[in-house]
Amino acid sequence: MKRRTIRIPNLGGAQAIILHRPHPTVQALTRQLTAIGLQVTQAWPELGPEALAADYIFFDADMSHDGMFPWEVGQPPIPMIALIGSEAPGRIEWSLKAGSHAQLLKPVGDSGAYSALLIARDAFDAQKALSAEIADLRRRLEDRQTVVRAVTLLAARGKSDAEAYAQLRQMAMAWRISFEEAALRIVAAQGGPDDRSERG
Amino acid sequence: MKRQIKLGLLLSRSGSYSLISEACRSGALAAIARINGDQDMDLSFVPVERDPCGNIDAYGPLCEEILRDTGARHVVGCITSWSRKEVIPTVEKFGGTLWYAVPYEGFEASDHVVYTHACPNQHLLPLLDWVMPTHGRRAYLTGSNYIWGWEMNRLARERITAAGGEVTGERYLPIGSRDVGRMIEELRFARPDFILNSLIGPSSYEFMAAYRALGLEDPAFQPETCPVLSCNLTECELPALGQAAEGLVAAGPYFRGVSGWPGAGSFGSSHEAAAFSAVMELARLLAGREGAENWPLSQLLAGQGGIVDPDTHHTVLPVNIARVEDGAFRVLKRQEAVAGDPYLTRSRSAPTPVLRVVS
Repeated sequence: MKRRTIRIPNLGGAQAIILHRPHPTVQALTRQLTAIGLQVTQAWPELGPEALAADYIFFDADMSHDGMFPWEVGQPPIPMIALIGSEAPGRIEWSLKAGSHAQLLKPVGDSGAYSALLIARDAFDAQKALSAEIADLRRRLEDRQTVVRAVTLLAARGKSDAEAYAQLRQMAMAWRISFEEAALRIVAAQGGPDDRSERG
Repeated sequence: MKRQIKLGLLLSRSGSYSLISEACRSGALAAIARINGDQDMDLSFVPVERDPCGNIDAYGPLCEEILRDTGARHVVGCITSWSRKEVIPTVEKFGGTLWYAVPYEGFEASDHVVYTHACPNQHLLPLLDWVMPTHGRRAYLTGSNYIWGWEMNRLARERITAAGGEVTGERYLPIGSRDVGRMIEELRFARPDFILNSLIGPSSYEFMAAYRALGLEDPAFQPETCPVLSCNLTECELPALGQAAEGLVAAGPYFRGVSGWPGAGSFGSSHEAAAFSAVMELARLLAGREGAENWPLSQLLAGQGGIVDPDTHHTVLPVNIARVEDGAFRVLKRQEAVAGDPYLTRSRSAPTPVLRVVS
């Protein structure tokens, strides 16, 4: 698959929260983020609801745990960057489970924040796009049975399977809905017992 | 009795970009002479010079020699972004500061660097804003094969396409290469509205000469029709360009004879001006503060005002768009006091919308 072009996010005035106890690493990271143009706040020992309005979360991978985030474990609604001090496998496993999209090694020095922001944003966007695509494919997979039933209903009027299939495609185009939705309409209209006929 | 403060100068006096080095060196030495002769100043600078001779691998070790062996904590120098990136780990390690007096491609704000020349919102973006309405939106991009060329052309491509324009070609040469034939052949076919030249040194001189020859052959490539734009060419390289510079349009914070440089003064080029300002500002920050020469940059800048933005370490500069006419730059367009915005997050958050004439 061809790599899509990276989208350079608009970072001017973006909100970053650093979930870390007061520490020189927080100062160094704040300096970098401020130079880039972000608004930075520090939080410890947990993220408040204001985290839901932030654009990026930097979190301490050494001392953090699941209960510190105001969302379901591993389902962050914004890009997350792990601040890794101890490279112990257990901690790395935990930060991956927490949903980190990029990392920055501690001690944080003069650089690294900008690439972490861009990589986290890109990974977050890619993950979101893939999840949406997978959900759509899953739904269409589930609707396959409905398509088979619709084609069978249309074919019952003396058409071949191929003709019935083509007719269904034309109906979908005429109604400007998806193929699966058209199938659902056919099945519902023909009074077939379909417990999913309320959908879509 | 003046305090003697050592000041490193890390500039290549030979190699492909030595003309720029010499301009920076003149500016720095002029400021040092000014400070040393100023009886009201409680300090004088002792220059400690190291010459990497244009060899990229010599910058790190020579910078380390200055910081480790001579006691200097401040270094004026580096021309290419490549060399600047090479020395940043060294200045960070020794708690030193690099004063960088050359236009660069932005996307950097080191805690150990002061940037006294322009970044893209002070050169490339105003230049594109000038050229697209006046000449058209079809561009050909050239550059030297390292971060300056790559990043300038990436940003140019982003802005040109966002404005509804088109990039007709993009070609790079290794630093020092004079192999411009392929670019000229591509230009014959691409027929762009303008050319962005981010080549450096001999590559740039050769390209400009070959492009002038092309213009004599085909009027579509004369400067009035299809100008060459630059964000790094200044008076200090005009002698190497000769007639080939005629019609070149450059962006810069200063051109010879133009007033408005922060702190005033008359300089041979903006490189000289930016190096001069760097040394003068350092002197101002150290004056009357015994021992401040050993402080980290953040401490030195805190609460002192001056030309250096304490968040980004960039400076506020005028923007001039100027054309070479009869061997000198003549200003076409000017903006006063534009703050350096290295990450393009402060001044221009969104690309300008594309406006089309509707009939």
